[in-house]
Amino acid sequence: MFAAPAGVGLLLLLVYPTVYLLALAFTESSLGRPLQEFSGLDNFVTASEALAFRGSLVRSTVFALLGAAVTLAVGTALAVLLRTRGGRLGLAGSLLLLPLVTPPVMVGVAWKLMLAPVGGALTGVWEAVGIGGFNPLGTGTGAFATLLVIDMWQWAPFVTLLIFAALLGVPDDLLEAAQLDGAGAWRSFTAVVWPIITPTALAVVLLKVVIGFKAFDTIVVVTEGGPGLATILAPFEIYRTGLRGDFDMGVAAAETLVFGVVVGLVTTVLTVARARVVRAQG
Amino acid sequence: MAAVLSTSLLVVIALAGAVPILYLLSLAFRTNDDVLNGGFLPSVIYWSNWGRVFETVPFATMLANSWLVAIGSALLTGVVAVPAAYVTARSRRHGDRLATLVLASYVAPPVVAMVPLYFLLKGVGLTNNVVGLILVTGLANVPVAVWLLDGFVRRLPVDIEEAAWLDGLSPVQSLLRIVVPLISPGIVAALLVCLFLAYNEFLFAVSFSQSTDSQTLTVGLSLFQGDRRVQFGQQAAASVMAIAPMYVLAVVAQRWLVSGLTHGATR
Repeated sequence: MFAAPAGVGLLLLLVYPTVYLLALAFTESSLGRPLQEFSGLDNFVTASEALAFRGSLVRSTVFALLGAAVTLAVGTALAVLLRTRGGRLGLAGSLLLLPLVTPPVMVGVAWKLMLAPVGGALTGVWEAVGIGGFNPLGTGTGAFATLLVIDMWQWAPFVTLLIFAALLGVPDDLLEAAQLDGAGAWRSFTAVVWPIITPTALAVVLLKVVIGFKAFDTIVVVTEGGPGLATILAPFEIYRTGLRGDFDMGVAAAETLVFGVVVGLVTTVLTVARARVVRAQG
Repeated sequence: MAAVLSTSLLVVIALAGAVPILYLLSLAFRTNDDVLNGGFLPSVIYWSNWGRVFETVPFATMLANSWLVAIGSALLTGVVAVPAAYVTARSRRHGDRLATLVLASYVAPPVVAMVPLYFLLKGVGLTNNVVGLILVTGLANVPVAVWLLDGFVRRLPVDIEEAAWLDGLSPVQSLLRIVVPLISPGIVAALLVCLFLAYNEFLFAVSFSQSTDSQTLTVGLSLFQGDRRVQFGQQAAASVMAIAPMYVLAVVAQRWLVSGLTHGATR
């Protein structure tokens, strides 16, 4: 009985969309006239032939995995640094929350204005280091890397909060013993600290991969998928196919299903891997 | 010595991290020409951006819509998620199954539900409508809230509820009178997180609610981009005004948020 409202929610947000997506994916469907006639696998064929979509699956996966790795590394480093100052976050606790609660659209606006080739905050910096006129959004790799940096800006502080909490579980006497044995900072971290925070770190990676697959807002604001196809990630491509330009809901639905399978595969592999590692540690 | 070093390193990192937001603040006090001059600081403080943004775009409407969606959907999320978390944490038979389903619906990117929900909302006449956004966003955030709350319920000793049942309280009464008050810090944290998520939400808002009178801040400010003559200063001022209340909330509620997030997310 207590689960009833959640059941209705799941019905509306999980069951109904899945069923409707299947119906759309196998029919000719436009925004104005969905479910016109059965079209077999046509939509899937169109989707698989679309260069932008095929690439977007790879880019989304790379973005999710790289984003998780970078965010975990930076977030953990920051947490370790904070931990050296004691067991309380104090002011840092407030500051760490701020990127997390900044609307991603506004984060995108801020970064876009800052990186603008003319009048951006960094134009002077580029000149000072001898690469005047540098525009990170001008090349595909640069734009993709910029999105990863923005992603790190938004999420690394959150990872820091979680890892910091886990670091509090590392017994001081273990660290002191390691130091007595002559272990340096890096050795103490890998041998003593990391094994203890591994379950948390892997949970964070999984969560961050899931979040990375949802990336959409900053792309719309900062790169609009460009230059070329370089920053078209899957959610953006599906949005473009269905609600912009083509208004081809059938193909958008087929793309959504394929993307859903990719996300499912990647997260399942990670979930299983995490369970193994955690179990192996006992 | 080491403490001084790490503190100064942290200060440098904090300042570097604050640059995008500080630059936004600086732009908000400049004319367009002053923006194009480059540099970090305004050459002359220009105040008019803050007022003029209300004339350039229907900023007051966007603000109102964003707050309606944020508060409305956070309340909806709470009403659905509190009893659901009670089930996932306590029911041996249905708990795990519900938890799996809820988790699955969180893992699925929201874009999956976008197309079907568009047709559903259109069918019941709730596209370009704040109520439609409240319903969709509120339900979409349920998994996050359940996930955060589940841990709080689990940490309650079952004895307390059993004592309540022995005293003749129904399950509903014991949930409302015993469990809810005891997990209230968790509920505050979960509602705040969902408020932030709803206020920041963009994909559903831009897909379902583009009309001028139903636009939220995220949609309205993203459309600034498409404008041929972008008013940088006004866009920056609008962004600052959109962000500021979230920062105030986050700082005021820091205690609940940090404990809620760290307890919930990494069990």
